[in-house]
Amino acid sequence: MRFEEVRFEKDSEKAIHNKPLQKALVNVTDRFRSARNKASSEVSNWEELRSEAREIKKNTIENLDKYLIMLEENVKKAGGKVHWAKDASEASQIIVKIANDRNVKSVVKSKSMATEEIELNSSFEDAGISVVETDLGEYIIQLAGEHPSHIIAPAIHKTKEDISKLFSEKLGIPHYDKPEELTKVAREGLRSEFLNADMGVSGANFAVAETGTIVIVENEGNARLTTTVPKIHVALVGIEKLIPKYEDLSLFLTVLARSATGQKSSTYVSFITGPKRASDVDGPEEFHLVLLDNGRSGILASEETRESLYCIRCGACLNNCPVYRHVGGHSYGWAYSGPIGAIITPQLMGIDKAPELPFASSLCGACHDVCPVKIDFPKVLLELRKNVVESKKFHIKNTKDLIEKLGIKFWRFTVEYESIYKLTNKLSYYLQLPWKRSNGKLNSLPYPFSRWTDQRDFPAIAKKTFRERWKEIKHQTG
Amino acid sequence: MGSGETFKERNFLSEAEEVEKVIDELRGNLKIQFMDELAKVNTNVLETYEKDNIKEPLLNLIKEKELKSFSIWESEYLKEINLKQQLKDLGLKLITAKNKNRISKADIGITEVDYAIADTGTLVLLTNKNQPRSVSLLPPIHLAIVKPQNLVRNISDLFIILKSKLQDTEDITSCMTFITGPSRTADIELNLTLGVHGPKELYVLIL
Repeated sequence: MRFEEVRFEKDSEKAIHNKPLQKALVNVTDRFRSARNKASSEVSNWEELRSEAREIKKNTIENLDKYLIMLEENVKKAGGKVHWAKDASEASQIIVKIANDRNVKSVVKSKSMATEEIELNSSFEDAGISVVETDLGEYIIQLAGEHPSHIIAPAIHKTKEDISKLFSEKLGIPHYDKPEELTKVAREGLRSEFLNADMGVSGANFAVAETGTIVIVENEGNARLTTTVPKIHVALVGIEKLIPKYEDLSLFLTVLARSATGQKSSTYVSFITGPKRASDVDGPEEFHLVLLDNGRSGILASEETRESLYCIRCGACLNNCPVYRHVGGHSYGWAYSGPIGAIITPQLMGIDKAPELPFASSLCGACHDVCPVKIDFPKVLLELRKNVVESKKFHIKNTKDLIEKLGIKFWRFTVEYESIYKLTNKLSYYLQLPWKRSNGKLNSLPYPFSRWTDQRDFPAIAKKTFRERWKEIKHQTG
Repeated sequence: MGSGETFKERNFLSEAEEVEKVIDELRGNLKIQFMDELAKVNTNVLETYEKDNIKEPLLNLIKEKELKSFSIWESEYLKEINLKQQLKDLGLKLITAKNKNRISKADIGITEVDYAIADTGTLVLLTNKNQPRSVSLLPPIHLAIVKPQNLVRNISDLFIILKSKLQDTEDITSCMTFITGPSRTADIELNLTLGVHGPKELYVLIL
């Protein structure tokens, strides 16, 4: 299944009217949010850790060329191979070629946003290679032919009844109601996939330049199986995942687990350096690291939005975003959702492919407050909005664009002259009267104002302006 | 190993010495903290016994779980206490880690740990020729034996010690694994379910 264009407005409209999804979203975001708040409050120097993490990421991204070469050198030294992919199709080609050259028939995968980004599964299927997602959430999504809706909990939009029905249809088994039973079915089916797979594909949470180590954080153990059991291990890693030093991991693992799920430590963390050594009893014989650019160096070039690359994919910004909490992951139209999706999708795909996303935010800054690397989301969003508006300057595509443009022009005109401003205030008070309800709200204005009142009420304009009242109050109180 | 100047900025050998000194003084407290944290992450702690008396808790476990086969690390300490032979004598079948299909069917995997992190209840396992990865991964039950001298206070202690050893021996393992509790998922309506891929049960025997 391939991604289509981003249609935020249309898809979010659908999501808002999907009752089970609304319930699931509240459930997941509330749970993760309170777990994260508790876990971060237990660390006395949490704010210092965030600042330190941001500093390290800033230094890494600003010296990425140096650290990437160091990483390559050290992976090679440990016996691994390094491949460079400039875009999604090149990355897929490299990985499919590794598989074809070694006559690989079946692949197991552990959760990786980067492989979602390059739509690797489609490329494997096109090449006639079977590919199985092994993270339970991703496995459910793959059976359903859908995309993940949350970075940490990909199948959160599905109820256990949905999953029971799906398993029964796709796997030809009876209906099971309990999560434990469904999990057991998945364990047994996937264990045999692991034992028979020729190749394992993973992502990575971090890549350590000075040791050539990739680090994978998980709770299920499927990433351990993916990187241990098959003879070949391929890791697809975005170039922004680098950290310079081995000991930097103690800081990043601390903030990642607590920000993501509120755990002190995730169940499993694997630190993989090259393939198995000659004397090791088990582990893969080959290790390939595929370093993915796919638009990242473009972000690096933009000083104003560069910090988008600091992200460690914890998902805390999703759980705290009032927009994500209502519209869910699919509205963002690509691998990345929530505030982080709103800033990196337009930059990675091209701003013309996702011009609505930088506007999918109230700029409340809750994401900035919880981000473990302190990405200034509102600042980056505003910068991207500016880019969208500038790119549209001479291309008015539809009436919506035209009305918006005229509206802004009119507003600018009124606020530039005090007398006109006062006059429009008075005028709007009288103009609104036919629509004013007894509760002091406007709830169904004509187009184009209906675009507001279709969603929510607008407080009616008061008879006396603030300035008039201020004068009165001042007068009364002396 | 390690290219460039990054390894030289801090003196990890002397930092590690300092850390080890502090840990030595705290040893008893760390053990209590570690056991508390293990309990929080669904790990079964077997009561502490002297190494001569390791058989008793194991016998109970074998009986309770009806264990018939096992896989085990060939590591130094496990050899020293001759655990492999003891289990064989009890009638359990030994399965080596070489064959993935067979070890996947072993009833229990037994390892030591290289380090144990007290403040998160984390076991740290390093892969080498005597310490295969599969033993703590493929069987449905994992038993880890922890010695008091394995304990460190926190993850930051651990990386100072690891880094000092990297400088010392110029070697890094192909795979280091952190284990904090049994395999878990919350992917179905956020219900916590244990044993989705890795071991369903984790036992820690602290000496």
